[in-house]
Amino acid sequence: MPAFQPSRRRLLGGTCAAAAGGMLPWLPGPGWGTVAALHADELRRRHKACILLWMQGGPSQFETFSPLPGVAGGGTKSIATAVPGTAFAEHWPETASVADRLAVIRSMTSKEGSHPRATYLLHTGYLPIPGIRHPTLGSIVASRLAAETGAADGDLPPVVRIGARGRSDSGAGFFGARWEPFEIGDPDEPPANTAPRTDAERHRRRLDLADRLGTGFAARLPQEAGDHRDLLERASRLIHSPAMEAFDLDRESGAARDLYGAGDFAAGCLLARRLVEHGVTFVEVVCDGWDTHQDNAERTAALAGRVDRPFAALVRDLSDRGLLDDTLVVWMGEFGRTPQINPRGGRDHFPRSFNAVLAGGGVHGGSLVGRVDSRGVDVTERPVTVPDLFSTFCHATGIDPAVESMAPAGRPIRLVDGGSPVLEIFG
Amino acid sequence: MPSPPLPAVTRRLPPWPALVAASVALFAAAAGAAPPAAPADDAVFLRRLTLDLVGRAPRPDEVVAFVADPSPGKRALAVERLLADPDWATHQARSFRDVILYRRTDPRSAFMAEPLARFLGARLAADASWSAIARDLITATGQPAEHGETAIIMAQMGETSDIAAEVSRIFLGIQLQCAQCHDHFTDRWKREQFHEFAAFFPRIVIRPTGGQGPDRFEVASFDAAPRALRARKAPDNPRRGDLEHEMPDRDDPSKPGTVMAPRFFLTGRSLPTGTPDLERRHAAAEWITSPDNPWFARAIVNRLWTELVGEGFYDRIDDIGPDREVRHGDRLDALAAGFVAHDTDLRWLFREICTSEEYARESRSRASPDRVDFAANCPQRLRSDQLFTQLLDTLGIDEARATRRSGPAADARQAGRFGGPREAFARVFGFDPSLPREEVVGSIPQALVLMNGPQVNAAIAGDRPGTVLARLLRTEPDDAAVTRALYLRTLAREPDDDELRTCLDHVRGGDRVAGFEDVFWALVNSAEFVHRR
Repeated sequence: MPAFQPSRRRLLGGTCAAAAGGMLPWLPGPGWGTVAALHADELRRRHKACILLWMQGGPSQFETFSPLPGVAGGGTKSIATAVPGTAFAEHWPETASVADRLAVIRSMTSKEGSHPRATYLLHTGYLPIPGIRHPTLGSIVASRLAAETGAADGDLPPVVRIGARGRSDSGAGFFGARWEPFEIGDPDEPPANTAPRTDAERHRRRLDLADRLGTGFAARLPQEAGDHRDLLERASRLIHSPAMEAFDLDRESGAARDLYGAGDFAAGCLLARRLVEHGVTFVEVVCDGWDTHQDNAERTAALAGRVDRPFAALVRDLSDRGLLDDTLVVWMGEFGRTPQINPRGGRDHFPRSFNAVLAGGGVHGGSLVGRVDSRGVDVTERPVTVPDLFSTFCHATGIDPAVESMAPAGRPIRLVDGGSPVLEIFG
Repeated sequence: MPSPPLPAVTRRLPPWPALVAASVALFAAAAGAAPPAAPADDAVFLRRLTLDLVGRAPRPDEVVAFVADPSPGKRALAVERLLADPDWATHQARSFRDVILYRRTDPRSAFMAEPLARFLGARLAADASWSAIARDLITATGQPAEHGETAIIMAQMGETSDIAAEVSRIFLGIQLQCAQCHDHFTDRWKREQFHEFAAFFPRIVIRPTGGQGPDRFEVASFDAAPRALRARKAPDNPRRGDLEHEMPDRDDPSKPGTVMAPRFFLTGRSLPTGTPDLERRHAAAEWITSPDNPWFARAIVNRLWTELVGEGFYDRIDDIGPDREVRHGDRLDALAAGFVAHDTDLRWLFREICTSEEYARESRSRASPDRVDFAANCPQRLRSDQLFTQLLDTLGIDEARATRRSGPAADARQAGRFGGPREAFARVFGFDPSLPREEVVGSIPQALVLMNGPQVNAAIAGDRPGTVLARLLRTEPDDAAVTRALYLRTLAREPDDDELRTCLDHVRGGDRVAGFEDVFWALVNSAEFVHRR
């Protein structure tokens, strides 16, 4: 475990005491303290959630959950899983042990073989179009669930993205800043600028002063002043919220850290579970490095070593806590990789057939969807397009994919552009 | 169905001071319930103007001198002075850079921010016309890092249809891309017209140069396809090797499409297939910027008017065109005609708008129910570059030094790969300048930077050597004078009596240093600080 950051301990210890003492009367609204007040069971009943494990670069289907030993070169062997007849690539023993809780789609297919365009496609369900920024999956899920069930009214941001390292091209789009992913660089550090700089009492005095000094501006420009005040209050609620403890991995036991294993991705998965537990609707955890144009075998083995254990731990942990039924977990990347090994020992981009894995959210464990031909090239059975996949996400989270929103230029845009859900994976 | 005729083109320069006066009178009469707002006071006007033209707030000494100046022509003089300031080109370059890059379809083009701003800055400083800049951007070739004018092409990574859609949006204000797949639902544009326009751009290629980093690409023409390339098409790029643009078969995209010849949808000018790339693009640039196409001038006039007055002649900055409802079209046409008559000189356009009555009015909330077009200015959230510069000036931080160390939003891990603290700040505070401003709202991470960021809080401290406040408290024993100085630094105006009293009451209660830290914090975190009104 990395060295502890003392600043965070100070921050959380201090503010929780202040909150418990009722010293923050200027913070109105139902969000304040709800997380602390509500019993976890109630949260679980209320909140659907989604965790996306994003494999940036395009993970090889053959070295993950669609092995074809002896056919698709590379020498990767397969191993049996908890589901008789379903094999995974050899580097995924932990995930294999929870295969009975997973649905594996082996017949994903698209036409988009460029990283940025395919990343956009698999995050929004749409190809980039000039003039329109489509909302990313997290913004879709969070805003629709908020509209339909009143989720995301707590202190924490509804959409969190962990480890994306400044990748900023799939955000809330035309859904607006409220649904913008809240970025976390290092899951072992508190989010940027959330450590209070003053004690809560002085912070309140400052806000009061700002309020009094702002009356002249507010009298002339009430709309702008009101929006600004609302923002200051939401930000203040966040930094002084007891729910900020959700970001503190040091509150997890050593056993929990062991369950998820070491590394940033493991820490990100554990943080994702904590955040969902505290009412966050959508968390994306990014594992970069899957663009294996060279040394595919070695690199995919190393990458699997980073992802296998935390992925399995996340599914198991959510299940043990009773959260899995209402939390959809998705493992995917932007495309797959070629069946042939190139001269540098790598695999190149291959959107024609690839894979994705779902768990939770009512998904029937042990499902296997689709087939590719014996050479690993074309989908021969049950092709699943990106709109089909997004419709499936909607089905699992209880969202209507046909809902239209108004994009710039007055264009009505459906949450998902056609497609139909892969219903056979739901029990 | 034949397209309805385009509106008549104004070929003769109208007697346009008269026209302007008439239109002002016209909408003053139409205003009825809500009379036009009074002119903004001097300090508000100077802050607005300085932020709009040169991207910073006025310094305390500028504010004091301007307010004290009794001469009636001082506002027009301030416009001239700021238009002549080298920062005008720098700031407008950043603004136009955002217009182009916020809609990029390819995130890899983020690195174009610096070369594009450099290119635009140099052209604007050299008094290049808007037409000349448009021509440069449409006909660009070369290595992107050296040739910022390749930005529109790079932002779309050379995709023919996307370049066409963006050229139309940026320079004509016409959103043609809906017509890529079907005839436009609400406008007259047919699918053929989109693809004919796209046919100006199919021979642009972005090819590797063998170098490393941003230099590894170059934008070039592709006028002769090696046979091998045509014969062996990559599965993920079926268009590779095509020299002409094809409109895909709508019913079966796997079938070969229809080869399109370049044709400009607004004026009908066309070229045969087979025309070399640069000839096509130079023709497109010439026809787009030609005075017989009114939409080139209308688009930029509407954009700058919307930016400066707060609301535009159309609902959207970049969705105008013959089928969109226009408000005060006579005013728009007068400005557009003047702009064309002045060789599309951007300084002329800024001068016209910034010396207008509408620009000089007090701001009213955008949401006011009695809103009448142009009866008041509208408050605008500061763009990231404006706010960043203002924040550094207010806090007394030197940008060059901050860039060497780290800036207000520079969480190292979130800073990404390009640029220093200004760019890191823009990742939190930036917004697409083509969005309607009512859709641009603040975010929690923005609020956190200003209220809770370590850099901001260190800089407002009164007990650290070298901070603005520490110097002020050491040299100025009078609390009222300290308050005035903080207001001038932060909001570019003097406090009114109530504000002064509130601050003094707050400070007198206890620790002087802590009290003024609170005042400084409250001003930096005010709605007024992040808006220009």
